[in-house]
Amino acid sequence: MNDSSESTLAATKPLDAVSGTKRIQPVLPVFRQSRLHRLADRWSHLLFLACSLLVVALIGGILFFLATRGLAAFFPLAGNTGRTLSFSEVFLTTDWAPSSDRFGILPFVAGSLAVTGLALLVAAPTGILTGVFIAKLAPPWMRTLMRQVMDLLVGIPSVVYGIFGLTVILPLVSRTWLTNAPASGFAISAMILSVMIVPTIVSLATDAFESLPPSLDEGSQALGSSRWQAIWHVLMPAAKPRLLTATVLGLGRAIGEAMAVQMVIGNNPQWIALMRESTDRAPFLRALFTPAATLTTELVQELPNTAAGSPWNNVLFAMGLLLYLLTMVLILTTRRLGRGQEA
Amino acid sequence: MRTLPALRTSPTAKHVDRLMRGVLWIIALGFIAVLLIFVGAILKQGWPVLNLGFLTKMPETLDAGGGIKPQIFNSLYLVVLSLGLSLPVGLGAGIYMAEYAGKGRALQFFRLCIETLAATPSIVLALFGMIAFVQTMGWSFSIRSGALTLALLNLPVITRVTEVSLQSVPRELKEACYGLGATKLQTILKVALPYAATGILTGLVLTAGRAFGESAILVFTAGTNTSGQFPDFRLTVPGETLSVHLWSVTSDGTLPDAREIAAGTAAVMILILLILNLLVRFLDRAIRRRTR
Amino acid sequence: MLSPNTPETKPIKLSVKDLAFCYGEKRVLDGLTLDIHAERVTAIIGPSGCGKSTFLKCFNRIHEVSSAVKVTGDMLIDGVDIYRGGIDVVDLRRRVGMVFQKPNPFPKSIYENVAFGPRLFGVNDRASLDLLVEDALRKAALWDEVKDRLKESATGMSGGQQQRLCIARALAVNPEVLLMDEPCSALDPIATSKIEELILELKKTLTIVIVTHNMQQAARVSEYTAFFWLGKLVEMGLTERIFTTPRERMTEDYITGRFG
Repeated sequence: MNDSSESTLAATKPLDAVSGTKRIQPVLPVFRQSRLHRLADRWSHLLFLACSLLVVALIGGILFFLATRGLAAFFPLAGNTGRTLSFSEVFLTTDWAPSSDRFGILPFVAGSLAVTGLALLVAAPTGILTGVFIAKLAPPWMRTLMRQVMDLLVGIPSVVYGIFGLTVILPLVSRTWLTNAPASGFAISAMILSVMIVPTIVSLATDAFESLPPSLDEGSQALGSSRWQAIWHVLMPAAKPRLLTATVLGLGRAIGEAMAVQMVIGNNPQWIALMRESTDRAPFLRALFTPAATLTTELVQELPNTAAGSPWNNVLFAMGLLLYLLTMVLILTTRRLGRGQEA
Repeated sequence: MRTLPALRTSPTAKHVDRLMRGVLWIIALGFIAVLLIFVGAILKQGWPVLNLGFLTKMPETLDAGGGIKPQIFNSLYLVVLSLGLSLPVGLGAGIYMAEYAGKGRALQFFRLCIETLAATPSIVLALFGMIAFVQTMGWSFSIRSGALTLALLNLPVITRVTEVSLQSVPRELKEACYGLGATKLQTILKVALPYAATGILTGLVLTAGRAFGESAILVFTAGTNTSGQFPDFRLTVPGETLSVHLWSVTSDGTLPDAREIAAGTAAVMILILLILNLLVRFLDRAIRRRTR
Repeated sequence: MLSPNTPETKPIKLSVKDLAFCYGEKRVLDGLTLDIHAERVTAIIGPSGCGKSTFLKCFNRIHEVSSAVKVTGDMLIDGVDIYRGGIDVVDLRRRVGMVFQKPNPFPKSIYENVAFGPRLFGVNDRASLDLLVEDALRKAALWDEVKDRLKESATGMSGGQQQRLCIARALAVNPEVLLMDEPCSALDPIATSKIEELILELKKTLTIVIVTHNMQQAARVSEYTAFFWLGKLVEMGLTERIFTTPRERMTEDYITGRFG
């Protein structure tokens, strides 16, 4: 360092201004973490890991227990005290008469699909449109209000939905038109289901639209497109994967709902046979108001009355297993959709 | 030289725009109307039944005039028990996912499991509880079978809300804590969890509401009877809740006043849930005030 | 201020040899070698993104908290390697305190913010805590302003007060080194000058490393200055010399404001 000596930028300052009065300073200890803290830190993550693994174990445990009982319907397992059924007679026939040894669950599968499909037909478009509305069009007060409405709708218990259908909608429908029909059936079940699943779809759709970059919207409108054109041609396609996810999760909720549907659907396992015999001129309309049954409603209806180990009981558990496997497929589907969106 | 056409938004596009705005407003207002009609009808039907006697009497099995006292108790008891069972596990799993699992495959797998459990229909959980607790453990229809199965319903929600709340803790706060020489566990317990507490509490109240309204699970695990005593804290007796009661009186049809009892029970449930909802909004506002 | 012809009397506290820092595949710091003396203020200057904050965080390994990184080379504190020398990272962070760019008090009372550190180490009796809190607040020149409202929330204080509270919080665990990452960048000039006065007071007992993009600040408070550019050390020396006769053209350009 052979630099020239005197500095020009030196800017020292007197320091007495800082601490002012003189006082005795305590001698600070050299702090150390105690052994206990160190040990706790080293091992605590195992406890947290155990909690996570418990969730994993539960997924497997549910599958295991349902499978031991559900598969006992088809294989001579320990849980089977009656006859062994074949897959085709259970999954491919429409005749459900357990007391006469006939176990076709097709009416319930078809019933579940029908009621879920109808509910989605109403809930998916209205839910997605409400999502757009909340995310892009509604004034702030309306946004808050709609969120609260959806929170309340999702919080209402399914039995209360059921009692509403039973005591308000059913009498209303049977009084106004189709006076001689019992009115319970797919139409009313789907109507109630759609209100039950709409909050799920709305909240996921709102998130989907809100997470789109604002530049998309602005870019489109800067070109002179109307608000709706921007939504329809730019935002909807951009949000498509997440909207599909929302619909799939709504579907999952609808297909698994038991109590509300059970209270209004009429619980008629023979609905397909009934339909076949009918000579109605408008069979589709008639089908909407025919008492029917689904996988979930049949479980609620009949499980308490069956003896453990009987084919009847085992087939019911097989229906439960079917629902569980379906859930897994739906979740994996949403994963797939999510991945498509990232790519 | 050709002149370019003047580009204008076509009249149809304008009409469609206005039409669709109208449609969206109508749909939104429609949902508000559905909710109002719904709550209104339930409360209107239940109002004549609601009185002190209804809330404080024991239920009847064959005669009219029974109350719902033990069902109210069982509902609250089961909610508290199931939350007590699922909260520690949910917190632990949420902490693991937010703070320890990293960002790799393990986290993705745990998330997948949580999502699957969250999407599992309650009737499926009910079947599981019935096989595992009612039959295999031999606990029959009882409070303990019900509480354990109900805990499965709460678990994924609590885990998720814990994970999300912990992720929202500002990194600077955690770094400040580490910078003082804190261990990871100390940072989580003393800085991250207290900060996330309000969020977790909100999730907990929402979960309580869901557990309170759940019926499918409890029909198959806690049963459709009460022990006949009040208050009965035993874990081994059947414990019918409000929502199960509502379902069983409607579907059994042995009570002459089943309609009135169902209406009254539904109204009580709606009122309790409205109160819970207000609580959630209050907590939510507390969170927002702090983040500002 | 230390001048070029007075010999350095203070020992070397921190020593860095051939340090490289990789963030995934990206090399953020490369080939750094420098020494930092005890009870001196060392300023690190350089344009944004030159890796000066990252370098600072290497000293207490706080970057390990949030991301996977790779550090090679040697980094010594009192001659012991902090990445390999059997040093416990928790203990290291206690010895090497840090003050962040934005004031980050915990959402607790003023008192609890300062008492937080000692509590971590098992100090829980009221009398000791009172003593430690007062001492730390006095050292941070904050005591007179807050002694009557220790129970109030720290988030209600002004930015400058919050930053001094964060300094007090760091001081309460009795560190040997204080790292300051642009501590005044979020503060107004008056608050800034208070912090600068504080730094001059604190260096009597502490080793201070301060990252700043304010050249005047570096000149005012530091004995040594290091100039970083694109993850490399361009030049380091006595502040006085760096600011008067820089050896490198790049340093001169930066100091005189021709780039950066």
